[in-house]
Amino acid sequence: MVLADLGRSISGALRKMQSETVIDDEVVNDMLKAICTALLQSDVNIKIVQQIRNNIKTKINLSEQAAGINRRKLIQQTVFQELVNMVDPGLKPFTPKRGRPNVIMYVGLQGSGKTTTCTKYAHFYQRKGWKTCLVCADTFRAGAFDQLKQNATKAKIPFYGSYTEADPVQIAQEGVEQFKEKGYEIIIVDTSGKHKQEKALFDEMKQIERVVQPDDVIFVLDASIGQAAFDQAKAFKDAVGVGSVVITKLDGHAKGGGALSAVAATEAPICFIGTGEHFEDFEAFDAKSFVSRLLGMGDLSGLVNT
Amino acid sequence: VFGFFRNLTGNKDLTRSDLEPVMAKMKDHLMGKNVAADIAEKCCESVCVSLIGKRNATFTTVRSTVTKAMEEALVRVLTPKRSFDILGDVMASKTKGRPYTIVFMGVNGVGKSTSLSKVCFWLQQNGMKVMIAACDTFRSGAVEQLRVHAKCLGVELFAQGYDKDASRVAGLAVTAGADRGVDVVLVDTAGRMQNNEPLMRSLVKLVTENNPDLILFVGEALVGNDGVDQLQEFNNSLLKYQHDKAQPRTIDGIFLTKFDTIDDKVGAALSMVYTTGQPILFVGVGQTYTDLRRLNVSSVVRALLK
Ligand SMILES: Nc1nc2c(ncn2[C@@H]2O[C@H](COP(=O)(O)OP(=O)(O)OP(=O)(O)O)[C@@H](O)[C@H]2O)c(=O)[nH]1
Ligand SMILES: Nc1nc2c(ncn2[C@@H]2O[C@H](COP(=O)(O)OP(=O)(O)OP(=O)(O)O)[C@@H](O)[C@H]2O)c(=O)[nH]1
Ligand SMILES: [Mg+2]
Ligand SMILES: [Mg+2]
Repeated sequence: MVLADLGRSISGALRKMQSETVIDDEVVNDMLKAICTALLQSDVNIKIVQQIRNNIKTKINLSEQAAGINRRKLIQQTVFQELVNMVDPGLKPFTPKRGRPNVIMYVGLQGSGKTTTCTKYAHFYQRKGWKTCLVCADTFRAGAFDQLKQNATKAKIPFYGSYTEADPVQIAQEGVEQFKEKGYEIIIVDTSGKHKQEKALFDEMKQIERVVQPDDVIFVLDASIGQAAFDQAKAFKDAVGVGSVVITKLDGHAKGGGALSAVAATEAPICFIGTGEHFEDFEAFDAKSFVSRLLGMGDLSGLVNT
Repeated sequence: VFGFFRNLTGNKDLTRSDLEPVMAKMKDHLMGKNVAADIAEKCCESVCVSLIGKRNATFTTVRSTVTKAMEEALVRVLTPKRSFDILGDVMASKTKGRPYTIVFMGVNGVGKSTSLSKVCFWLQQNGMKVMIAACDTFRSGAVEQLRVHAKCLGVELFAQGYDKDASRVAGLAVTAGADRGVDVVLVDTAGRMQNNEPLMRSLVKLVTENNPDLILFVGEALVGNDGVDQLQEFNNSLLKYQHDKAQPRTIDGIFLTKFDTIDDKVGAALSMVYTTGQPILFVGVGQTYTDLRRLNVSSVVRALLK
């Protein structure tokens, strides 16, 4: 996975430190510089990078007083912990419950991959034997209903939508009600792309949330996003109850740091990642094992106090 | 007292060590505005080099000298090297009796199809007869999306459905366009990741076989460091897979989308222009046909340095 590039640079910086005989300020500064450069090249929010730099520095300075502590180990542990903090807000993502309707609402910026991911998500659970279905509450984008309909048909998933009704709130309400009555377990509501600068779009999103009462709101983010990620993600979080994040398009070259910053902004865990345009290109995500793999250290969960 | 004079180096030739701390801050500032790390680094280095040995005017802080030099450098980078007259070129093509063709290309979800419809509207406003060619024969709903736009705009859509060879559809569209006496054929293509070799090859095949008049790369203002890689790889693929041509076609210009979603984090504009030296011909500032602008170089530079 491409996010691994970030891990490689960071473990490279840590390894370089291992080979130094004395860990003086210069070694520490060089390592910090290398780590921060890697984070910035991966689009991690600049404020988060500054925060990470300061946190690591503070911890290392504190340890100077405490005699006998292995400086090298402490630095490694601190870097690891900071990365875990960024990627893992310490919450488990929502998991649907069997035998009752679970309403999942998808939100995100324009073109981030919501409609595609909705089908992947439905397909993922359907394969495990769940009764899943899709509701198209995007009446804005040209061809949105056709897109969802064609995806759903290919994946053999029931869907609801309308070519004539212009109000997405009404479609969302009707679709969810209908599928609830029919005993569906996972009801996925796709919405149109939005951005924080356009209040009307956010208002519409809030109204849909109000009528469908989702069990989870999933925020979808494109892995290539840069410094705008944090503010947009924060605005979505402040508007609706974002509970999980999906990062899409990780099959490209993007290192995904902007998307990781969004996790910090929403304080919601990543539940899945998208790695291609087909339904199967979809993986469940676990933050801790991700960071361990990232740093190529194997399972380090013992090192981290959570 | 000395703190007050810290940054004043009046009447003295600037050295690298005078400049370095200020350049480091400038680089961070640019990255915070979403300029890609490498591009921020390169811009700072060239400004730094240009100032070494220059006499700093009395009571001018190094910082304001650097800011001024940076402003000039950024204006230089962003100002197109040659003038573009698409409407004039369309007229010229018309006298030769063949439609002017524009191909839109880029990664998934950046806004190719929407931007194409904006350009269609703009051409119509300027009295041109336009045809849209649906050469995204892959993504669900792509054809219907364009059909909606074609209907709203009152232009003909040339489509052959899904799973067809995109290059062949483009060729047939140009022939049909010539028969119908249209002035411009706008060719939509499927989104693809820059590192997906088979898909990049088939895109270049479309270019080679149809030799369009204008190749527009569509990139979103939201993109971080990956924007540079996208442009480089699209251009490299064009060069690599047209190796048998004496004069291979490369990207002629950039369509920068979603400029309304980034506040003042306008750095992607700089990263993209810096990467290929090609100009931003259009900027997308919303989701409707009229949300099309020219790049305002001075306001972008102002936002970058603010
Ligand atoms: N390569 C790749 N492409 C993806 C992935 N997820 C989505 N896409 C593509 O990204 C583009 C946009 O996806 P959509 O699902 O239409 O995005 P959306 O968020 O619903 O877009 P709007 O409804 O317009 O806001 C399409 O071309 C998808 O095929 C992924 O993980 N990898
Ligand atoms: N806010 C905003 N949204 C835009 C702009 N341009 C396009 N969009 C939106 O971005 C989303 C994706 O646009 P498309 O035109 O479908 O993108 P595409 O590149 O053709 O996507 P694929 O064909 O799936 O790769 C849609 O929701 C558009 O309305 C823009 O300038 N501003
Ligand atoms: Mg959609
Ligand atoms: Mg498209």
